[in-house]
Amino acid sequence: MSRLVLKFESAALKEVPLGTRPVTIGRAPDNDIQIDNLAVSNYHARVYLEAGSLVVEDLNSLNGSFLNDIRVERALLKDGDAILIGKHEILVDQAHDVAVPTDGMRRAPAPRVSETMILDTHERRKLFEAAAAAGERSQISPERSRVPTLTVLKGRTDQKEYRIAGKLTVIGHSKMATVRLRGWFTPEIAAQINKHEDGYYLGRGNQVPKINGISIQGLTKLKDGDLIEVGRVRLNFLYRD
Amino acid sequence: MHIEAGARTDLGRVRKNNEDCYLIEPSLQLYVLSDGMGGEAHGEVASKLAVQTVVTHCRQSENSRATPIFGESSPEVSERTNRLASAIHLANRKVFETAASNSEQRGMGATVVAAWIEGQRLSLAHVGDSRAYLLRAGSMDQLTADHSLVAEKVRVGILTPQEADASEMQSVLTRAVGTSSTVEVDTDEQILLVGDFVLLCSDGLTRMVSDPEIASTLLTSATAQEAVERLVDLANDNGGVDNVSVIVLRVVDKSESVFRRLKIWNRHSG
Repeated sequence: MSRLVLKFESAALKEVPLGTRPVTIGRAPDNDIQIDNLAVSNYHARVYLEAGSLVVEDLNSLNGSFLNDIRVERALLKDGDAILIGKHEILVDQAHDVAVPTDGMRRAPAPRVSETMILDTHERRKLFEAAAAAGERSQISPERSRVPTLTVLKGRTDQKEYRIAGKLTVIGHSKMATVRLRGWFTPEIAAQINKHEDGYYLGRGNQVPKINGISIQGLTKLKDGDLIEVGRVRLNFLYRD
Repeated sequence: MHIEAGARTDLGRVRKNNEDCYLIEPSLQLYVLSDGMGGEAHGEVASKLAVQTVVTHCRQSENSRATPIFGESSPEVSERTNRLASAIHLANRKVFETAASNSEQRGMGATVVAAWIEGQRLSLAHVGDSRAYLLRAGSMDQLTADHSLVAEKVRVGILTPQEADASEMQSVLTRAVGTSSTVEVDTDEQILLVGDFVLLCSDGLTRMVSDPEIASTLLTSATAQEAVERLVDLANDNGGVDNVSVIVLRVVDKSESVFRRLKIWNRHSG
């Protein structure tokens, strides 16, 4: 039986047999071939048999359907053709029903989706360069080049201002603390700040800190200018040049 | 403060090989979990070699400060966290060289997530989509960022988390140990408090069991081992489509751990 093979970055992701029913392609989950990419329209294209010929038809998609790199609205398909939709390729394989070659070579099974695979680093770089070029939010935030600091507004601490240098910043009475709180009954580990890929996150220790007056629940991302309260201490989180 | 650990790896309900594995070195409070890939039995080779290399390298570095560091050290984290990352760099090299010298094993690789505890300090390092979570005071946070195509797309804003969950490309990794000559290792550090849970797991758990289910299982289990057994059973009950591995670390008071042992002893003798 003929089939369509969905490929991404040269990895086969899905196979759909071609029968009498049209095969629909799009971002919406009820498509036969669903592609979860914003460049793909909800109902992007379909492939069907008409008078014994295989046809691809674009369904007025925003970004178009390409047959062997040419934008098409409706076109006849032949074995080996590649339909390009967004960054995904759909290969037409009509040779699939041909008898197994007699030279004894076994056809390598197409990788199943459930099989873990690794994306080549070069391909990965291309993907994210393309994303950045398309004007989508870049991985590097403008805050990256600025130094995060904590300024003490109120309460007893060992310094008036701290630069956050490491991945982990502990706030508390403990010797391990970067921001050392003074005073009786101060918890050893009151709170902590963790650096993640996309910014700094405040987490609780033996106290529940507040950000701008609201108690945090779990790790909470800090924004420039946030007011942090840990017990009686008030800190201002600021990015500085 | 005392760490009570539980661990289990299971084939699941669908797979024929278990490509996951874990290794625990209690004397070092070192916990390593890996999910292999590469078809046939090669994923198993990759994940075993990875966890063994990590543990061996960390043990050697404890015995001798002169143990060489692999990969670049970061000034942002402690010496010990850098050491853990170094162990994963070495594991990467070993898996890569083994695959290169055996054509059948070409392309094999593994994820690694490793936790190393010294006093109250937790060092974490990882590559791939095996995860570490911290459950503290009822709220659970993922400490690791998955190195998978869909997760990276969510981080750069191309996909929504809902689209990522529905995606067919969840198995496509952007980083793995052993698939190229060098690898970037992510690190993190936490200060642990009594009452915390640290969870290390392969994607076989997180694709089958939701975060709230995981959290409530941790909070309602009497011991770390009981939590681990229940989590693996949940993953299998929900379909068990992949191998599942779980390590649970419970941070308990020293006195509580003595009390608990007495209670268990009582139960056995009574």
